[in-house]
Amino acid sequence: MTEDQPPPPVEVEVETPEAIPPEPFHGLSATGLSRSFGQVHAVVDMTLHAPAGQVTALIGPNGAGKTTLLLMLASLLAPDTGAISIMGIDPVKNPSAARAKIGWMPDTLGVWEALTAREILTTMGRFYHLPKSTIASRVTELLERVNLSALADQKARVLSRGQQQRLSLARALLHDPQVLLLDEPASGLDPGSRVALRSILRGLAAEGKAIVVSSHVLAELDEIADGAVFVNQGRTVLLQSVEQAVAQGRKYSIAALDAPALSAALASLGVDFVPGFGRRDAVVVTLGSEILAANLLRELITAGVPVSDFGPATGALEETYLSMEVEQP
Amino acid sequence: MTTLHDEQAPENQQSPTVDPKGVPGKAGRYLEGITAVIGMELRQRLRSRGWYIMLGIWFALIWLVTALVWMSWKAQSGYNFDPGFGRVSPGPLIFEAVCAFVLLFGLLVAPAFSANAISGDRSAGTLAIMQVTLLRPGQLLWGKFLASWVVSLAFLVVSVPFLIFGIAQGGLGVGYILVALLMLALELGVVCALGVGISALANRPLFSIVVTYLTVAVLTFGTLIAFALGAAVSNGTVEANQPFYKGMEMYPDEQAPAQDTEIYPPVPLPTDVTDQNDEYACYGPLQPQSVSRTERVAWLLAMNPFVVVADAIPYPARTTQEQSYGVNGVFENISQGARYAQAGPDATFQCAGGKVTASRFDQQVPLWPLGLGLQLLVAGAILALGWRALRTPAGKLPKGTRVA
Repeated sequence: MTEDQPPPPVEVEVETPEAIPPEPFHGLSATGLSRSFGQVHAVVDMTLHAPAGQVTALIGPNGAGKTTLLLMLASLLAPDTGAISIMGIDPVKNPSAARAKIGWMPDTLGVWEALTAREILTTMGRFYHLPKSTIASRVTELLERVNLSALADQKARVLSRGQQQRLSLARALLHDPQVLLLDEPASGLDPGSRVALRSILRGLAAEGKAIVVSSHVLAELDEIADGAVFVNQGRTVLLQSVEQAVAQGRKYSIAALDAPALSAALASLGVDFVPGFGRRDAVVVTLGSEILAANLLRELITAGVPVSDFGPATGALEETYLSMEVEQP
Repeated sequence: MTTLHDEQAPENQQSPTVDPKGVPGKAGRYLEGITAVIGMELRQRLRSRGWYIMLGIWFALIWLVTALVWMSWKAQSGYNFDPGFGRVSPGPLIFEAVCAFVLLFGLLVAPAFSANAISGDRSAGTLAIMQVTLLRPGQLLWGKFLASWVVSLAFLVVSVPFLIFGIAQGGLGVGYILVALLMLALELGVVCALGVGISALANRPLFSIVVTYLTVAVLTFGTLIAFALGAAVSNGTVEANQPFYKGMEMYPDEQAPAQDTEIYPPVPLPTDVTDQNDEYACYGPLQPQSVSRTERVAWLLAMNPFVVVADAIPYPARTTQEQSYGVNGVFENISQGARYAQAGPDATFQCAGGKVTASRFDQQVPLWPLGLGLQLLVAGAILALGWRALRTPAGKLPKGTRVA
């Protein structure tokens, strides 16, 4: 049985030069990707740049093509058109070289139930041709890092969903990849693990790795991500940095101990407000920038309103997401 | 227990980046990947209780078969008379029965270990995880195939004591057991290769297991049916003249006094005899006789696993007398029958071409290399298709497939 690279895709798309950022771009870049499965056009036109040292969020509704995009980036699926560069390597032409640099955490759990966490990671180390002498210590180190040391020698089937998720993360990090592709890494994690995941990801970004995270927990992404790529119906809709998202107008929720006084003060300041949708007796205002928010708070305090709560009603990325008016199929 | 550790791994230490110099040589790395897959598979198999239960059932079944054959021989041996050339031991009978059952059960068990090897990983979401590593599709296939073969061979090992018991009863040489074991192992390997190849092509474990069982059924029964139908439509003619049986001169027989020759004169041989042996003579003009050209479809028969095993076992040369007493066992009959079909009417039709033909039990040309070769060809082709299906980045995907 011979080992050959799969043939290059039949159509080689000649990409428009302006879509490619100025060379050398360090990180992960994908331009004009498309991929269809029979009649289903999962990805129509997606462009994504994840620079090294940053966390890039991939945001979109269910069925937007996020997982398909990540599969293409992970070198598992060949794009119909478009070009991918993993730290300068084309995964379609040279999958082995690309895979050595990619860490992929799928949205499906995928554990070998009869094997222990340590065995799974050790076998993966052999699949990655890690030097035999270092595999054991590397596995121990990663189990420590995702806090699975106590369960290292338990069969994977007894691990809870969140624990399997952490094992999956350890697996993705095993070969010290330069590019991390995480599909819904936070799903199933308890709050404590989410905080820890956030800090692990920020730490990896600080080490200079390019990280792509797809998630539905948008409030989380505000904290982790440097930039966001919004996708819908197989297309990249918007590329936005979190600063841009924060700078744009967003809704603020205001609550006061004396609700009528708050309403009166807002009315006298000429600020439109609507009743909030939470349980508490709060109102929601839309403000164009953080400066305006600061001004409004100061004026309310000055007017003697006993403000008990003043904060963004939605996350910055969530605001963008909701304003996209995505069509849910 | 619920939090991940925050601290970063110290980066000043040697980071375990993929090191091309870590493993010696390209072939060494390739083998390294295969052994990693085998190790992973075996570890999982050896931990499943079902495997041990199946092994236990297997042992009990073979034991039962051996005991029943031995008892039935005992029961009949009272009536058995000794024809004088050694059919006194139950050895060959037990050996053949165990061989046949091991092959039958092996054909039933081997798909269970091979046909979900890859489709099972695919449905569990673990296949893509392996594909995204530096593991190549060939390493994956070889590893899965060899692991399932090793697991199937365990069943063969369990049946060795019974084969030895059969040999110990006498009548057969040690060479028999070695050849039989080798051929049984090869047949299990063929089934495992088929199963792994099919599982690489299928999406669901259930589907690939059913298709593998059907493939095994095609090899076992389909080949027989196809051969029978094929032989029925492969009509042809052969030029032959008439046989003249010398045994037809019934009177007087050998024991009878010779003085009656005048009353019962021997039937004179025809004048135009073209060829003759002790038994009969061929005479008369050549005429086209309609026959079934079995040699055209013998390859179908050859692919049958039972034919391959039976035909590969060497049998001692038999005298005509032994044949008439039915000394040869079932396997020997299968082997000779298949070889007879392969030789075709040119060699087996009486008086074809005016020549005396070899008897049914003198066919010397083995059929099993052809059969095994065809089986390997089919298994290899299916594995190659499976290899194509495992390549990534995947181009075309079958309908309804989800990579991960």
